[in-house]
Amino acid sequence: MAKIEVVMPQLGESLTEGTIIKWHKKPGEKVRKDETLLEISTDKVDSEIPSPASGVVTRLLFDEQKTVAVRTVIAEIDTDENAAVTTSVPKAAAPVPAQTAPTPVVTEARRSAPAPQATPVTGRFYSPLVLNIAREEGISMSDLERIPGTGEGGRVSKKDILAYAQSRGKSGAPSPAGAAPAPTGPSAPRIESSLKHVESGDLAKKYPSPEFEILQMSNILQKMSEHMIKSVQTSPHVYAVHECDMTKVDVLRRKHAAAFEKREGFKLTYMPFICDAVIKALKQYPLVNSSIEGDKIILKKFVNLGIAVASDTGLLVPVIKNADERNFVGLARSVNDLATRTRAKKLTPADIEGGTFTITNFGVFGTMVGIPIINQPQVAILGIGSAKKRPVVINDMIAIRTISYFTLSFDHRTIDGALGGSFLEAIVRHLENFDEQQVS
Amino acid sequence: MPPVLTKSKTARSGSSNNHVLKPEQLLRFYTLMRLTREFEDAVLRLYQQGKIVGGAYSGNGNEATSVGSASALRKEDYLFPLHRDMGAHLVKGQSLLNLMLQHLARDTGLTKGRDGTGHYTDPKLRIYGNISPLGAMVPVAVGVALASKLRNEHAVVMNYIGDGGASIGEVHEGLVMASAMRLPFVLIIENNHFAYSTPTTKQFLVEKLSDRAIGYGIPGVTVDGTDVVSVFEACTEAVERARSGGGPSIIESVTMRMHGHAAHDNAWYVSKQLLEEWKKKDPIVRFEKFLESQGILSKQKKESIRKEIDEQIEGATKAALARPYPPGDETVKDVFAR
Amino acid sequence: MKNPITYLEAISEGLREEMRRDKSVFLLGEDIGTYGGAFKVTKGFVEEFGEDRVIDTVLAEAAIIGAATGAAIVGMKPVAEMQFADFVTNGFNQLVNVTARYHYRNFIPVPLVVRLPFGAGLRGGPFHSVSPESWFFHIPGLKLVAPSTPFDAKGLIKSAIRDPNPVLYFEHKYLYRHIKGEIPAEEFVVPIGKADIKREGTDLSVITYSAGVHWSLEASELLSKEGVSVEVVDLRSLLPFDEEAILQSVRKTGKVLIVHEDTLTGGIGAEIAAVIGAKAFKYLDAPVERLAAPDTPVPYAPTLEEYFLPNAQKVARAIRRLAEY
Repeated sequence: MAKIEVVMPQLGESLTEGTIIKWHKKPGEKVRKDETLLEISTDKVDSEIPSPASGVVTRLLFDEQKTVAVRTVIAEIDTDENAAVTTSVPKAAAPVPAQTAPTPVVTEARRSAPAPQATPVTGRFYSPLVLNIAREEGISMSDLERIPGTGEGGRVSKKDILAYAQSRGKSGAPSPAGAAPAPTGPSAPRIESSLKHVESGDLAKKYPSPEFEILQMSNILQKMSEHMIKSVQTSPHVYAVHECDMTKVDVLRRKHAAAFEKREGFKLTYMPFICDAVIKALKQYPLVNSSIEGDKIILKKFVNLGIAVASDTGLLVPVIKNADERNFVGLARSVNDLATRTRAKKLTPADIEGGTFTITNFGVFGTMVGIPIINQPQVAILGIGSAKKRPVVINDMIAIRTISYFTLSFDHRTIDGALGGSFLEAIVRHLENFDEQQVS
Repeated sequence: MPPVLTKSKTARSGSSNNHVLKPEQLLRFYTLMRLTREFEDAVLRLYQQGKIVGGAYSGNGNEATSVGSASALRKEDYLFPLHRDMGAHLVKGQSLLNLMLQHLARDTGLTKGRDGTGHYTDPKLRIYGNISPLGAMVPVAVGVALASKLRNEHAVVMNYIGDGGASIGEVHEGLVMASAMRLPFVLIIENNHFAYSTPTTKQFLVEKLSDRAIGYGIPGVTVDGTDVVSVFEACTEAVERARSGGGPSIIESVTMRMHGHAAHDNAWYVSKQLLEEWKKKDPIVRFEKFLESQGILSKQKKESIRKEIDEQIEGATKAALARPYPPGDETVKDVFAR
Repeated sequence: MKNPITYLEAISEGLREEMRRDKSVFLLGEDIGTYGGAFKVTKGFVEEFGEDRVIDTVLAEAAIIGAATGAAIVGMKPVAEMQFADFVTNGFNQLVNVTARYHYRNFIPVPLVVRLPFGAGLRGGPFHSVSPESWFFHIPGLKLVAPSTPFDAKGLIKSAIRDPNPVLYFEHKYLYRHIKGEIPAEEFVVPIGKADIKREGTDLSVITYSAGVHWSLEASELLSKEGVSVEVVDLRSLLPFDEEAILQSVRKTGKVLIVHEDTLTGGIGAEIAAVIGAKAFKYLDAPVERLAAPDTPVPYAPTLEEYFLPNAQKVARAIRRLAEY
C-alpha cells in the first residue's frame, strides 16, 4: 500500500493558485485512476481534475471554495501500487478557453478559408519537438491550434502533428498565404513575430499545381501580418460593444446630403459625424488618446485620427493630423481626401504615421459586430458595424430606428472596462444628440 | 688515510653495525647534505620573493636522515620520499634543474606544472614523489614492493613517513600487507618531534616509534637522525634484509624540525630552548667537524665544495626561471593515458 | 557459440582468458584464492595460476587498492577485487588522490582494474547492496563500466584489463546467477565508451544500465502489447558514456526515461538528463524523466527492499505515463 499525494495542479504557466469548487469523492470512497476527483477554478480556466491513481481516498485537506496555492497537497489516496519516484501531478482535462472569439482581419476575402478541422484551442503547450516539426512541415501557428491533441492536457504530441502533416498532404490546401476573414486564430502566445521567408521552390514540391497555387505575400501584407501579431502580443485586448442609435445622424445626413455634395464635390457619409463624436469623446477622456512606454503613459495633446481604408493593395490607415482642430466640414474634407488619395495610391509616409486613435468601419462590408485589433502604439480602436433599421423600445413603445453596433477594442493595461465603456458611451451620446448646427 | 669505523647508537640488541666507509663515501655524504641545505635555502628565498607560489617546504635539520637513508639504496631500488627528503632525491641523482622546474611549476618540469614541490615521479631514477596526504603513498609503495617480488627484481622499496603521518590508517594497512607478504619494503619514520603544531607528546604514548614494528612482527630500530653514518648503517641493514627476502623493517630516525611546517609557518609554538639544543646537533656542522678532525675535509675543500654548490644552484635557478609556465589549455589534457 | 552461460561465468571466463594472455595480469583481493572468491568468480584460479597471481590479501581495502596502484605504476596489470562494492569507501582516498590523479600529474599509465560487486535484491542490507557508481563518476581520471549481459560482462572485463587507465568494473551481484546469455567462442572485446541498443523502438527511449536493462526490456515487452514501441539503450560504459548513441535515440523518439538502480538525486541519470536537455532540446516532445531508487540507504526487510528497488512494473508504469504525455 502506498500513499499518493494529490496536489493542486498548475493549469497555466502564470497561475499560482486554484480554488476547489467541488469534491467528487469523499474520504473512504474508492476512486479509479483518471476518474474525476474534483473540480477547480482558476483565473483562466475551470477544470475537472482526474485522480492520479486508483485506490481509496483517505484525506481531503481543504474544503470546497477554498483557494490553495499550486502544488499544495490537497488530498491523499491510498493505493495498492508502489510509489513511483516521479511526481504525480494530476493531468487536467483539456481546459475550456475563456477568451473571446478571434479578430477578423479587415480586408476583402482573397481565398475562402478551409473549413476548420477543430475548434481552435488557446493556451496549449507545444513542445520543442512539435514546434520544430511544425516549422519544417510549414504548418502555421493557426493550423497548429486546430490540430486535435491526444497528449497530456489535450496537447499536440509528436504523433498528432505527424498524423496531421501526413493527412494534410491528402486532404487539401493548408491555410493560404493570404489573409482570410474567417477566424485566423485567436490571440495565441508565442507566435513568431517575423515572417520566415520560404523558397517557393521548396513549397512547390509539397503543393504541386494544379491543385495548389503559391502566392507571395506583398510587403504591405507582410507588414500587416507582423503588425497584427505584434499588437495582439503587446496589448491585452478587451472589448466593449455599444448600440448606437444613428437615426438622428441618418436624418441629418439625408437632409444635408444634396447641398453638401453640391458645395464640396463629394458625398456626405457617416464618417465625419463619427469622427467628430470621437474627437469630442477623446477630449473628455484623454487617457484613451495615449500610448504606453513601460510603466509610463504618454498623453497626446493632439488628436491624429486614423481612418482604416481598404484598398486593393491592402489595409491602410491614413491619419487626419490634428483632427481636433477641424470642424465638421474640415473633417469631412480630410476623410474624403485621404480616401481618395489612398485609392489613387498617392499616400505619403507622413500620411500613415503618428496616429493617436483609429476608426475602422467594417459595417460597409455588412459586418454587424466586429472585434478589431488595436493599431499600435495606440491604446484603443473604434469599430463601426453596419447601420440597419431595427425595432427598438423607446419610452415603452416599439419604434423603428437605424441601429449600428460600435465596438471599442481597448488596451487593458491602462483602460479598464469603466473607462472604455464610458468613452464609448460618450461617442454614442454625441452621435445620438448630434448638433445640426455643425453640419450646415 | 685509514678507513673510519663508526658504530650506530641505540641499535636494536643483537645487531652489530660496523661498516667500513671510505673517505670518498663520507665526502659524498657531506657534499650531498650541504647541497641539500643550500638548495632548500634557495627554494625558501624564491618563495619569499614570490617566485615559488603556494607553498614551500624544507627539511632543515633532516639532511643526515635523507642522505644517509637513500645512500643505502642501489640504482634499481625504489624511493618514496617525503617533503623533507630533498637529500634523498639528490642521492638518487635528480638534477637541480628538474627540482627547480618542479618547484617553479614550469612547462618542462617533470609534472609540467600539474603539481609542485616534490610531488613528481621519475621512473628512470625510480623516484616516486609524495602527495599531500602523506600516508597515502605507503600502500602504493607496498604495491611496488609486491611487483618487485612478483617479478623477482630483487629491488627494494624505501618509503618515508613522519611522526604525525604515521597515525594514518593507510600506513598501518600498508605495513600489515607488507609484513604478511614479506615484501621488500623499508619504512623510515622521520620523528622530528612536530607534526605542524602538534608535538609528539600529543601524538602517541610509545617512547620509540620503532616499537610499533613489534605489532607487525618485523624488526624496528631507532637511530640518531642527525648522524648520517648511523642512519646509513641502519638503513643498509634493513635494505639488505629486505632484498634477501627477510621482509620489511621500520627505522625510526630521530631529528628535529628546525624550520616551521612550511615557509609560511614560523613555528612560534616550538620552544626556543628546544631549538637551541638541537642547533648544537646540526647534522652538517657536526659532520663537518668530524671530517675535519679526520683530515678528510680541509678548509679549502670545504670552500671549494661550497662554491661549486652555489654555482650549480645559481645555474639551475636561472635556467628554470627562464622557462615559462605551461599554457592554460594544457589543463584539459592527459587525464587519461592513450 | 557456447551454451548460454551465466553473467558470473562470463566474468570468470574473461578474467581467465586475460590472465592466460598476459602474464603481468594478476588478481588481488580478500578470499579470492583458496576460497575462490565470496561469489566464486575466481574459483579454480589459484589452482591454475598460483598464489603469486591470485593473492589472498589482508583485510585492508586501502592497502589493496594502493598496492594495486603501486604495481600498476611500475607496469603490472593488477585486478583488485572489493569483496562488496560497499567496502570501496575504505580505499576511497587511494582511488581519488593517488589512482585517478596519477597520470595527469606524472604521465605514467595506471592500468588498474577494480572489480566491484554491487547492487541490491539479495536481502544484503545497507552495507552489502550499494550502487556507488556516482561517487566515482565525478572523479576525473577514472573509467567506469557496468555490463548487463554475459556477453558485455566478458567483453568489458577484457577491455578494462587492456585499458592503460584505471577502470572500475561494476558487476551486479543479482545478475550473477539470474542472467544467462550466449557468448561467441572466438575472441571478442566490448569497447569502453560504446552503448548498445538492446531493443529498437520508435516512441520512447529508455536509457539505462546493468540491472535496469532487464527491468526495461521486460517493461518494454508489456508496453509493446499496448502499442507503445520502446527503445532500450544500454549504456554499458558509465564513464565515458556514449553521448552520441543517447542523442541519436532521443532524436529518433522524442521522449526519454532514464532508469537506474542507484538512488535518484545526483545519480548518473541527472548528468545524462542535463546533456539531453542541452543538446537535444529541439527534439524533446516531453520532459526528460528519471526512474530510480529513493534517496535512502538500501533497507533489509524484503518488503522494504522491494519498495526501494525499481522493477519491471515500475518501469512499465513510468513508460506508460511518459508515452501518454
